[in-house]
Amino acid sequence: MSAPPPNRHPLDAGHAAYLALNGALLFFLLAPIVVVVVFALNPTPYISFPPVGVTLRWFDKFFAGADFMKALWLSLWTASCVLVLSIAIGGGCALALARGNLPGRGWLTAFFMSPLMLPAILTGLALFQSYLLAGIGRPVWGLILAHTLIAVPYVLRTTLAVLYNFDRRIEEAAAVLGASPARVFFEVTLPLIRPGVFAGGVFAFIVSFDQFPVSLFLVVPNGETLPVVLFNYMKFDLDGAIAAASMISILLALSVVLVLEKLIGLKAYVKL
Amino acid sequence: MASVAASRPTPIAWLIAPALLLFVLFFVLPFGVMAVMSFFSSNPVSNPNAVLTTRHYQRFIEDSADIFHDALWATLRIGFVTTIVALLIGYPLAHWMARMQSRLGHALVLMAVIAPMLTGIVVRTFAWMTILQDKGVINTTLMLWGLIEKPLPLMYNEFGTVLALVHIYVPFMVLTLTGVIGRIDERLEQAARSLGAGRFRAFIEVTLPLSLPGILAGSLLVFALSISAYVTPSLLGGTQVLTLPMLIAQQVGTSFNPGFAGALGVILLIVSLVIVVAYNRILAHLAGEQGLA
Repeated sequence: MSAPPPNRHPLDAGHAAYLALNGALLFFLLAPIVVVVVFALNPTPYISFPPVGVTLRWFDKFFAGADFMKALWLSLWTASCVLVLSIAIGGGCALALARGNLPGRGWLTAFFMSPLMLPAILTGLALFQSYLLAGIGRPVWGLILAHTLIAVPYVLRTTLAVLYNFDRRIEEAAAVLGASPARVFFEVTLPLIRPGVFAGGVFAFIVSFDQFPVSLFLVVPNGETLPVVLFNYMKFDLDGAIAAASMISILLALSVVLVLEKLIGLKAYVKL
Repeated sequence: MASVAASRPTPIAWLIAPALLLFVLFFVLPFGVMAVMSFFSSNPVSNPNAVLTTRHYQRFIEDSADIFHDALWATLRIGFVTTIVALLIGYPLAHWMARMQSRLGHALVLMAVIAPMLTGIVVRTFAWMTILQDKGVINTTLMLWGLIEKPLPLMYNEFGTVLALVHIYVPFMVLTLTGVIGRIDERLEQAARSLGAGRFRAFIEVTLPLSLPGILAGSLLVFALSISAYVTPSLLGGTQVLTLPMLIAQQVGTSFNPGFAGALGVILLIVSLVIVVAYNRILAHLAGEQGLA
């Protein structure tokens, strides 16, 4: 897509206004993130602006809080299980959709993507009612499978993007050269889709770690995930401990962005 | 992409089984359970006296406490305003990204759009609370400069809710639009300009109409996401905002009325399903266009 550069006049007023507008919009997107970092390091006991200094006491408070730590570990454990499960389930599903010659592929893909479009709070409510009806209480595995359901579409999307992009003739060439279908699968297809599957797994991890609406009805008192604990805390108190927890979440998101860029390039994700 | 004449499923097709099992047991079935529960007076398993009833829906329709219709209306209104503002903000960004020549610039802007998207909703709502509250960034700065005497009411109302929702969902709009605008041949706009149209007119008459499917798809996506928002309206709306998802959470958490919660869920689900079907149609249309190109 390297079109010849159009004859632009970079200095005219219209173009300057266009750039200024987009600069302002980028500021709108990023400023709230920066503000969180400022408050995480600001020593005053309440949220106050402008900041008066730099401290790490809020990180101390966060990491010393038993409730916070319990929730953090539960969230990390859940997200790790979701990562593994959604890679296995979503990766297999993507292969079946792209290579399985299944009838009604378009319909099936839309079906497996639909948890992204339907209100997540309803998925949580529906599962809550089902667990209630089945009389199984609210076990952690129920939470993990609920998160997996929401995470599978992300793995599906990134894996399908890679599967549809790569040249099938590579597989055919391997077959022509005498490789059995199983060998083609394990030695050609699987290595080629690996970045897409891993990228999906990274998404799955962060989707589970940050998940709120699905978790809301599925966690038990004293067994809440980190976002739920933060939400309940914020209803009554707004101090630096929340900012510190938020900053950890932001750093996680930033590292995920970098990992994704390395694995498949963010551009591949943009393609629908 | 015509598929090769009616071929049978290959053994690889079996790999769909775990996903199908998960989705049937933890997605299709639960939504069915929710719909069924909305027609029961109480839990039919634990309570043998539970009877089939339409009372939950009647309660919503009669609305004797005068809150349910307002909540539905508030949900749709917040969704609508959020969508319009997200479109107005998202379009210039998407256009800029789609037309950017520099690879590095493109990657950086893309990161700036995706990084907020991957930050949790609770975290982003917290960020807006620190910005909008009475002692927040905006009010303190304005008072410091002597521009206002007392803090502006920026949150615990619909304004703050919509502002934060726009910030949370605008990346979805940008990503949808960038894909569509990027597929529009830039030479069409150049042709219009070489025929004498100004940059603005070329955009209004060529690029904007061609990006209409993207506008529609992005808007439906943002609308579907913002009518199901719970965290942001409950923290930033205060007592002034009551939406359908908040009402559902109340019914489960404080009133413990799963039947009525189910009925409210079914109502929200129907609204969402209409949007999802429309969205998928537009995507299918877009994919078809891409195949022909």
